[in-house]
Amino acid sequence: MARNWPVVLLCAALLVGLALPLATGASPPGFYVEVLLGGLMTGVLYSLVAMGFALIFKASGVFNFAQGAMVLFAALAVARLAERMPLWAAILLGIVVMIALAFVIERVVLRPLVNQEGIALFMATLGVTFFLDGFGQTVWGSDIYKIDLGIAKEPVMVLQGLFQGGILINKEDVAAALVAVALVAVLALFFQKTATGRALRAVADDHQAAQSIGIPLNRMWVIVWSVAGIVALVAGVIWGSRLGVQFSVSLVALKALPVVILGGLTSVTGAIVGGLIIGVGEKMAEVFLGPVLVKTFDLAGGGIENWFAYVLALLFLLVRPQGLFGEKHIDRV
Amino acid sequence: MSQRGNPIGEVILSVEGVSLAFGGVRALTDVSFEVREHEVRAIIGPNGAGKSSMLNVINGVYHPQQGTIRFLGQTYHDMDPHETALAGIARTFQNLALFKGMSVLENILTGRNLRMRANLLLQALRAGPALREEIEHRERVEHIIDFLEIQPWRKTPVGRLPYGLQKRVDLARALAMEPRVLLLDEPMAGMNLEEKQDMCRFILDVNDHFGTTIVLIEHDMGVVMDISDRVVVLDYGKKIGDGTPHEVRASQAVIDAYLGVSH
Amino acid sequence: MADSLAGLDTFPKLLAHHAKARGALPALREKSLGIWQTWSWKRFADEARAFACGLAAAGFKRGDHLAIVGDNRPRLYAAMCAAQCLGGIPVPMYQDAAAAEMAFPIQNAGVEFALAEDQEQVDKLLEILPQCPALKRIYYDDPRGMRHYKQPQLAPYDTLLEQGRAALARDPALLETEIAKGSGSDTAAMFFTSGTTGNPKGVVLTHHALIDRAAAAAELEGLSDRDIVIAYLPPAWIGQNIFSYAQPFVTGYCICCPESAETVMTDMREIGPTYYFAPPRVLEALLTQVSIRMEDAGAIKRGLYRYFMALAQRVGGAILDGRPVGAADRLLYRLGDLLVYGPLRNVLGMSRVRVAYTAGEAIGPDLFKFYRSIGINLKQLYGSTETSVFVCIQPNGQVRADTVGPAVKGVELKFTPQRELLIRSPGLFKEYYKNPQATLEAKDPEGWFHTGDAGYLDQEGHLKIIDRVKDVGTLADGTLFAPKYLENKLKFFPYVKEAVMFGHGRDRVCAFVNIDMEAVGSWAEKRNLPYSGYTDLASRDEVFELVRECVEKVNADLAAEPELAGSQISRFLILHKELDADDGELTRTRKVRRGAIGDKYRELVEALHDGRQVVHVETQVRYEDGRTGLTSADLKLRDAKIFSPAGAKKAA
Repeated sequence: MARNWPVVLLCAALLVGLALPLATGASPPGFYVEVLLGGLMTGVLYSLVAMGFALIFKASGVFNFAQGAMVLFAALAVARLAERMPLWAAILLGIVVMIALAFVIERVVLRPLVNQEGIALFMATLGVTFFLDGFGQTVWGSDIYKIDLGIAKEPVMVLQGLFQGGILINKEDVAAALVAVALVAVLALFFQKTATGRALRAVADDHQAAQSIGIPLNRMWVIVWSVAGIVALVAGVIWGSRLGVQFSVSLVALKALPVVILGGLTSVTGAIVGGLIIGVGEKMAEVFLGPVLVKTFDLAGGGIENWFAYVLALLFLLVRPQGLFGEKHIDRV
Repeated sequence: MSQRGNPIGEVILSVEGVSLAFGGVRALTDVSFEVREHEVRAIIGPNGAGKSSMLNVINGVYHPQQGTIRFLGQTYHDMDPHETALAGIARTFQNLALFKGMSVLENILTGRNLRMRANLLLQALRAGPALREEIEHRERVEHIIDFLEIQPWRKTPVGRLPYGLQKRVDLARALAMEPRVLLLDEPMAGMNLEEKQDMCRFILDVNDHFGTTIVLIEHDMGVVMDISDRVVVLDYGKKIGDGTPHEVRASQAVIDAYLGVSH
Repeated sequence: MADSLAGLDTFPKLLAHHAKARGALPALREKSLGIWQTWSWKRFADEARAFACGLAAAGFKRGDHLAIVGDNRPRLYAAMCAAQCLGGIPVPMYQDAAAAEMAFPIQNAGVEFALAEDQEQVDKLLEILPQCPALKRIYYDDPRGMRHYKQPQLAPYDTLLEQGRAALARDPALLETEIAKGSGSDTAAMFFTSGTTGNPKGVVLTHHALIDRAAAAAELEGLSDRDIVIAYLPPAWIGQNIFSYAQPFVTGYCICCPESAETVMTDMREIGPTYYFAPPRVLEALLTQVSIRMEDAGAIKRGLYRYFMALAQRVGGAILDGRPVGAADRLLYRLGDLLVYGPLRNVLGMSRVRVAYTAGEAIGPDLFKFYRSIGINLKQLYGSTETSVFVCIQPNGQVRADTVGPAVKGVELKFTPQRELLIRSPGLFKEYYKNPQATLEAKDPEGWFHTGDAGYLDQEGHLKIIDRVKDVGTLADGTLFAPKYLENKLKFFPYVKEAVMFGHGRDRVCAFVNIDMEAVGSWAEKRNLPYSGYTDLASRDEVFELVRECVEKVNADLAAEPELAGSQISRFLILHKELDADDGELTRTRKVRRGAIGDKYRELVEALHDGRQVVHVETQVRYEDGRTGLTSADLKLRDAKIFSPAGAKKAA
């Protein structure tokens, strides 16, 4: 069995890095677990955004740069709608908006450009990004809005018996993580168990063959963009409830890029795993590696969180261009 | 071919004056022929004769610059493969286009897709009608699995099957669509003798049992002559012969263009 | 769960009984269109009765033969019983036989009615129709591809069934009287056995014989209507027939028919049979599959497999037999069961197997032990078509690799001075059909069946078969010499491909050996032993040592057997060429032709017996293109250690 040693080494290095703070006693276990959980939580959000990328890329071969913009757009929509109606209604309506958006994108952008070079489609999604950012603000406004999920924000102390001082956990984070897990499970069922899911996988496998057996590509695109829109909405709502809905959400969503590079563009599993790795990795680096670097090299200060993900993605790109779970040949983009 | 379940009927598909060019290259020039219901119709010709282009025109992948395709009385110029599939034309591929990430069963089930009526929400909930529909489709698929003798590999990912079997799955998927016309793109290419014989038997059985009209492209002359009712011969994108295998074999133009060339 | 079967002396009566006693329980299952379809006992009985009425309407009479050609299918079994309902005789025929081979049984039995599974079988029957003018009706189960067949003899099973249903509705009592007319002494079925020479013989078995034996074995194993059997061998073979027809009729258990020959493994996993039968070649093929998969597995898996299989070899058999085993080993075995044996049994589809039999040919001890060591209760039995199978069965806890167990209840065994095994049993056949000469030769006036097998009973009363009587000889001093037995024993070593024993009329046993090129080749490679080809490898001293070890292990085994201790192998040589059918040394089925080899290599045989150390040989060989050439070599002759019967314990 051929092993890709650089990848194995890189993964091993990451694991060692993960264990080091605890092993060297640099951090009390309770604090360590708190950081870890915080990282995982961010990771879940990265995963959600990255999943949207992977879904669309697999089904339509389009590298959708607008995924981050879709997150912001969805969050804005829910936040503003929630001012006028109960939250659940706002979310439902938000979903309708995202599905409508998928229809429009298919009709206006994808269909005219079908069979064009990947780069043309990519440029088109760049256009969609700026359109959504701008149009979103036009329609929904450009202030900072809040989404209140109705779950108490104050942290709870758990596992006091196990760790000294216990662990602080945000209830809302737990709920958000559960929602994310449920969403992934539902999507997995949808793809594996329904006829439409099967058709979507067929399209992802082989466009031409799928078409020849009567699977309508256009409809599949609408569905997959809708699914990506719904995933974006969930990510947007969770994010918005933690940090408030504002333009920066769109930027943070760009973190999904290194995630998909790490996990593999064509793999939903890769998106999930990649998101968690980067979420945890950058949090750990920020908290534990940052101070060490600052002290050793007498630097100005932190900020590791902002570039760590990209460096990691670059490293993976060097040793395994198709990503951890990706397929060997990517002929588009 | 004296015994068959369905006597050859009226014209079901006709190709009328079709010309197709890619840039300056002429792939097909003014090609016309007819396919009758329930017959096995072969298109043969040397490499580069335009056979695959012809199939892709019928299938709606290519849209000819001139000429029309008439299917079941309807004329069409620019249907895409999805629409031709809905109209009742199925196809297999020369270089296998199975869904590699899926099992044999799932691959064949995708062939039922265009006949699925339940909406997305019902499917997602696996609610009554959707579930009943899924079971109904599964039953059709099982009949095809039985017919093509692929029972041992239902759950096997198609990528792991030997080539000959993948071809059979490709045929099964096309059959699952219950097409009126089945286009087979070199169904015997790359097979050994035994696999070829199996495939011939399956093609004839399909034609006999389901009454499916079959249009096939084939390189292997011997095979074609044995199983076809009528043969179209193409050479450099032009039709140079059309008739029963016997007639085609006797035609001087064909002998010069095809048979004369040692293969 | 033992019903009283008193008075139920024919299969149709038994079927009627089960339809009443356990009408809703499954009798047959068949995987069709991906789903296991079940026939209850009631459905089975209804089908058989309707088909019987159809047959009767078509003119099938008491004493008529119904040829049944096909795989294990519920309807074929229903047809067997249908024929019996009318006092007719089903004649199951091998579905993989060529058309020409089918002609004789059909002519011999004067078959007028036949049931074929599908188009393939119909084609064969139609082909021999000119030679079998009596054959007037051919029914077929699967209509696929049949619609263009216009022969007047042909009709679908379904049509006859419908006609039968109609007839049954008109006169329900008709069939009852026919069934009641039947008695245990009637012929139940006829099985053709392929003789090595001449035409096959139709073995006539009565209801009583089959039911008696099926019941005796069922009682021994405690079979009940909760057992499940998968029917995957040809139903024309008595072995399959007894397990999938006679025994379920006696016990009420359920038969499962796999979807196709290729899906047997998967189907077994789904069904989980509790009672299983496989000839050694099937067990061997399964083991090979497992081994190949393990070779492809990752290093950790492979390591685990090796470790726990070694443990199983050591203690698995003992645990299965209920013999004492150390607590630590027992615990480890339990762990192995969790990690290796359990999953392995599951892959083999044998997770629920309570009783498994093997028979038909000698089974290699390693193969036999493999299955037992992973907790599958594999046992040997002895029997033949003429004895309705069950003559000897190894009882639980008394299982040996080299014997076939004591006589089953009701069976008497005795031996002629030539050590031929004679059997008297309620399960004996009535006669060979229309062949009084052969019947007389096989069955003497006192009712003893001459098996043609040579053997003896060991101290514990277990039957040991050593050879065919015609092959057994004696050494000069009168010691028993069973060449095939010795050859097989030696061939069970992977390094030995063929072995030929010489000793009849001489003072000691000497052997020719062919090494197995693949096994010895890889053995040599692991030891960095270079060689240029077979002849080179076969002349290596190291290889001689390797073979000597095998021979001496055989000798040590033999020393433990009083009857055979005198015929240990004293000298051997490794032949310089591989025995080949093209050179007349093997039969086409790869059996050694001892006589021909002895003549051809007379010089070598003499040298072995007169004690020379080296012989120069030249042999003519025929190449594949028909040319002939000479090979020559100096052959080494080696002695092997002989063990005294008393010292056997130490050596083994």
